[in-house]
Amino acid sequence: MSGGYRQQPGGSGPTTRKDGKRVAGKQSFPPPGSGGSRPHMKPRDLDFIPESVGGKEEQPAGSHIHDRARTGTTVGKEIPLVDSNAKVTGQAWYGDDVRLPNEIIGKILRSPHHYARIKSIDTSRVEALPGVLAVATGEDSPHRFGVLPVTKDEHAMAVEKVRHVGDLVACVAAVDEATALEALNLFEIEWEVLEPVFDPKKGLEDADEPIHWRGKYHLSKTNVQKRVFQEFGDRSLVDKPHAESHGKWSMAGVHHGFTEPHAVVAHWGPNGRLQLYTPQQVPHYTHRALSTVLDVPMHQINVIRTFVGGGFGGKSDPFPHEMCAAILARKAGRPVRITFDREEVYWINRGRHPSHIEVKMTADEEARISGFDIDALIDGGGFASFGHVTSYYNGVLATAPYELGSFHYTGARVWTNKPASGAMRGHGAVNTRCAVEVGLDEMAETMQVDPIDLRLANLLPPHSRTISGFRITSNGMREALEKVREGSNWDEKFRQMPLGKGIGIGCGFFISGSGLPIHWDPNRFPHATVHIQVDMDGGVTVHTGAADIGQGSTTAVAQVVSEVLALPIEMIHVRSHESDTSPVDLGSYSSRVTFMNANAAIRAALEIREQLLNAAWEILGYHPDNLVLNDRRIYYKHDPAIGVSYLKALHKAQEDKGSLIASGAYRSPPMGGVHKGAAAGLAPAYSFSAYVAEVDVDVETGMIRCTDVWAAHDCGKALNPMAVKGQIIGSCHMGLGQVLSEKMVYGRTGHLQNANLLDYKIPSVHEMPHVEPIIIESCDPEGPFGAKEAGEGPLLPILPAVVNAVYDAIGIRLRDLPLTPDVVFKGIEKTLKNSDVEDPLDLPSPRLTHSSLQPTLVARAQEHKLRDKARQRTEDTSPYVNGVLFGFDPTIPLEDQVEGWRTATEPDPEQLAELGLAGRAWLKKEQREMGGEN
Amino acid sequence: MLMPPFVLHNPTTVEEACAIAGSLMEKGEDFDWVAGGTDLLPNYKWHLNPKPHVISLARIEGVNTLSLHEIGCMARLADLTVENGIHPLIVEAASKVASSLIRRNATLGGNLCLDTRCFWYNQGEDWRRSIDWCHKADCGTGADCRVVPNQNTLCVATYQGDIAPTLMVLDAEVHLIGPSGLRTMPLQEFYQLDGMKKNVLEKGEFLLKITLSEASAARTGSYQKLRVRDTWDFPEAGVAASWIAGDATSLKVATTALESIPRCHPEEVTSVLEAGWDGMNSVKALAAAVRKSVKPVNNTSLPPRYRKSMVRVLTKRAVEKMIE
Repeated sequence: MSGGYRQQPGGSGPTTRKDGKRVAGKQSFPPPGSGGSRPHMKPRDLDFIPESVGGKEEQPAGSHIHDRARTGTTVGKEIPLVDSNAKVTGQAWYGDDVRLPNEIIGKILRSPHHYARIKSIDTSRVEALPGVLAVATGEDSPHRFGVLPVTKDEHAMAVEKVRHVGDLVACVAAVDEATALEALNLFEIEWEVLEPVFDPKKGLEDADEPIHWRGKYHLSKTNVQKRVFQEFGDRSLVDKPHAESHGKWSMAGVHHGFTEPHAVVAHWGPNGRLQLYTPQQVPHYTHRALSTVLDVPMHQINVIRTFVGGGFGGKSDPFPHEMCAAILARKAGRPVRITFDREEVYWINRGRHPSHIEVKMTADEEARISGFDIDALIDGGGFASFGHVTSYYNGVLATAPYELGSFHYTGARVWTNKPASGAMRGHGAVNTRCAVEVGLDEMAETMQVDPIDLRLANLLPPHSRTISGFRITSNGMREALEKVREGSNWDEKFRQMPLGKGIGIGCGFFISGSGLPIHWDPNRFPHATVHIQVDMDGGVTVHTGAADIGQGSTTAVAQVVSEVLALPIEMIHVRSHESDTSPVDLGSYSSRVTFMNANAAIRAALEIREQLLNAAWEILGYHPDNLVLNDRRIYYKHDPAIGVSYLKALHKAQEDKGSLIASGAYRSPPMGGVHKGAAAGLAPAYSFSAYVAEVDVDVETGMIRCTDVWAAHDCGKALNPMAVKGQIIGSCHMGLGQVLSEKMVYGRTGHLQNANLLDYKIPSVHEMPHVEPIIIESCDPEGPFGAKEAGEGPLLPILPAVVNAVYDAIGIRLRDLPLTPDVVFKGIEKTLKNSDVEDPLDLPSPRLTHSSLQPTLVARAQEHKLRDKARQRTEDTSPYVNGVLFGFDPTIPLEDQVEGWRTATEPDPEQLAELGLAGRAWLKKEQREMGGEN
Repeated sequence: MLMPPFVLHNPTTVEEACAIAGSLMEKGEDFDWVAGGTDLLPNYKWHLNPKPHVISLARIEGVNTLSLHEIGCMARLADLTVENGIHPLIVEAASKVASSLIRRNATLGGNLCLDTRCFWYNQGEDWRRSIDWCHKADCGTGADCRVVPNQNTLCVATYQGDIAPTLMVLDAEVHLIGPSGLRTMPLQEFYQLDGMKKNVLEKGEFLLKITLSEASAARTGSYQKLRVRDTWDFPEAGVAASWIAGDATSLKVATTALESIPRCHPEEVTSVLEAGWDGMNSVKALAAAVRKSVKPVNNTSLPPRYRKSMVRVLTKRAVEKMIE
């Protein structure tokens, strides 16, 4: 029995009679699924079973509620993503791979104007063109849609007005692409060109014709889509700062740059049901929007998510071209396919908002951060998209990981006549995070302390609350900082390297799932549901609506089911493509999938497990508490020889009822404050990260080369370290693009000048530094097996780490992203002009001599380290809220302890005069207050 | 992106190619030459001045010669990146062109005849419609130049080839062939200061090969390229320098990607030499002079002011490296 215990004990009695015929009811072959070429059970992999349940897997951050469901099968192991074979063999079917019989090609007519009213559209010549089978215009789609229920401002095609160059005007379906393209030239349109707005600052002013009109809620006659004001804490703390930093940033818009352009196929089946094939991150929202736009109940629509060739947030809106394909297919009575050119991808955009961000921060004489003051004006382009949320995220996601004396945020998102901005990896958090982390670096410089020690001495501990009321559970921030400091040899390098070489630090904080499902009440319906079905063959079919966009959500779900049921991952089949068979799921955004879906999957799998154990109990006579699941076998824990194969137990469990079916759901716990906007940024868990980047700057040309990155990310528990490392490295690549070379360039005429992958400069393999991914496992109490997100948060720290490293290299603070060589060169030229130095090669390198604050910080950090450890392991369960560092009692509401402590979501009248750029939106009144439209 | 339909001609000899060109010209049909297709075909996909006929040079025999003294028009750039007897300066420049994938298709002839580029021009059809077209591809509208408005004569699109400046400083000669026969000239005279006409090629003519003299082969030099990424990107500025080692009077400098044509800078070199060669000081003076002589416009990724400033650094580095 060298290989372990046999899966099938061989059955009772012979399967053939003496005359060679088969015994009734006996098969002459082993039942399928009994092990096949691997008839023996693998021994338990104790290295992947937690200490708390008798394994050898270390748990420095404490045990987890799911530990008892661990079987050492797949969780924590580096396994290739389950769909990787499909991808590397070219069998994955992306949007444009769908081919239906009889399909025709749809093309979209796009606006040549930035902003114009459509006076008339004449389609008669288009319709007359032989080969044209359907034509549609805005008249065919009067219903509005939008990703957020509060801001539905899109139509399938322009109704009344076009809002940017490339906006959809009409569409046509023809027998082939050439005919469809020819048809586009035959539309006769009468335009009334309107005055466009490109500069978001102008968007704050009243316009003759605002890009959208929100009726009584419209802010005067401006183009402001959303304004936010938030103030927490004691503002008097900032009055006499010991150190401060003040920076004004200008950050260009960036695009996701996913490989696969948008593509969609729509087909109305024989019974009048719509089948829509689309590479969507969030198929459910498309489903809802289709229902609204087409006036068809949701149950008459089947949204089929194809493989997604990269999304990064750029495929999470319901898109107008999806509606167009459905409208055209309905009209033509044939399947319609629309595939975008790259130019069209940039025009539909939804990338990161171009932003003007101003950050002021102060520290007191003990180097505690007494205040963050953030103002973010973000350029939303022509439509709302996710902008409502982005407006909040730009502020609220800066409230951790540091303990703050006060926090003040004003934000505004304005409509401009440009392609719409939306959600992109690190949604809303990236730009302010960069500004904040660079500000901290600058404050550290003024106080003459090490920036890592400054951070270490100001961190919020695990199981605490931020100043804005977010509930922090697990928190691996400290460990991340310590690891990158050690890995990068920081103490030998920082402020000690020659001119042109620099090292910098940056931290990150991001949500792991949005706490609020935007379409329903979180207290009544779950965020995610997963169904599991196990039939006689033993294979496990998992139905989930989680959209795998390359991040590995299918693998994560397969892994947790495989782990709980102790089955090889090949036996788990995840079905997630069709809305007909998948339970409703909110889709892949806000880094929610692993946290929410895997939790739901664990719950469903535990139910199946219980049925299997009960069946084994019946067969073996041992109570489930004494049974062990391991590699297709269930056995008595004190004597593994007494056991039953998985398949036998399964068949026992299936007696009288057939397939085993279970459903599991995840719902986030009630949390957060009650102030306006309290739900924005609320998440059941948060990820933390710290990166150190090392750069070479060519001081003569301004070229920056990032050479090394030490990237520590706290993902709670790495379900699949290979996938986590991939996400970290990929995030570095994407973030480096934003900080070094990527930008959507709008020229002097407001046109997007670089809508192609040659001129939109995504870093190539040559620009990629060596990235050392460091996984921090803080074991989140509510995450699946302790896991948190690893898909978006890891992008945040790379930007400030690089900007800070550039300062370390050349002693110049740059605040225009991306740091293209011309921006750096300009900075160098300016510095030379203001100094006696002539040759850039003679520039001085910044140096650091520690002040007397340094030892204080080191001592405080040391003290906090012990505090954090006790809290992480829940040895210390006392309450902790932001403010304790400033001497407040966490058990009494802070408002009751200090007079100035406030939680405000609207500015006081006396504050109005001193608000920043975006804050000026608060000088305007809503129409209803002005006695306008009601 | 759908390429517009065209008739593809596949001559197998130079004579046949010229005959096809001649007969198309007689019929008044417009056509383009295509070699590797890495420049022309993307432009066709963008509907940038496509023609109804395309004559391919790919099947013509004997036009991919590769030696120290002669390189045929169909020599692949990938073959120029390995030192199989080719001048090291050409190897250096060819290795910096686009990406390894493109270099496998791209040819020397195509690179020298590269279409000039401009971000108002290298765009899809819908995009160009939104700016009401431009001078270079006006679609019959007589549209103005979008880079320098109110001038409707010259096109200021930028020539962004990497190899031309290196061949210029090596005194290469180009051989052009067409229905009216063969002609030869120094590469410097090949280019014409207009982003649309680009070079002296007459309709029906194509670039057959380049040749290097014995004296050129003795030169050593360096090519410096400015680009944001180390692959894919066209040069935002490029400077080539060469000399016969130790002989300052033989110094030659050429620039690319700064104007509609690549060009040599003999006056700047002469003025510096007149003051007497003084090592690094002369290099610095030369770099400043070359910088002053170029006039980039705003039609590539990086701003013209920056590109101009970089000419000084690139020239300095090219000459420095050459002297080493």
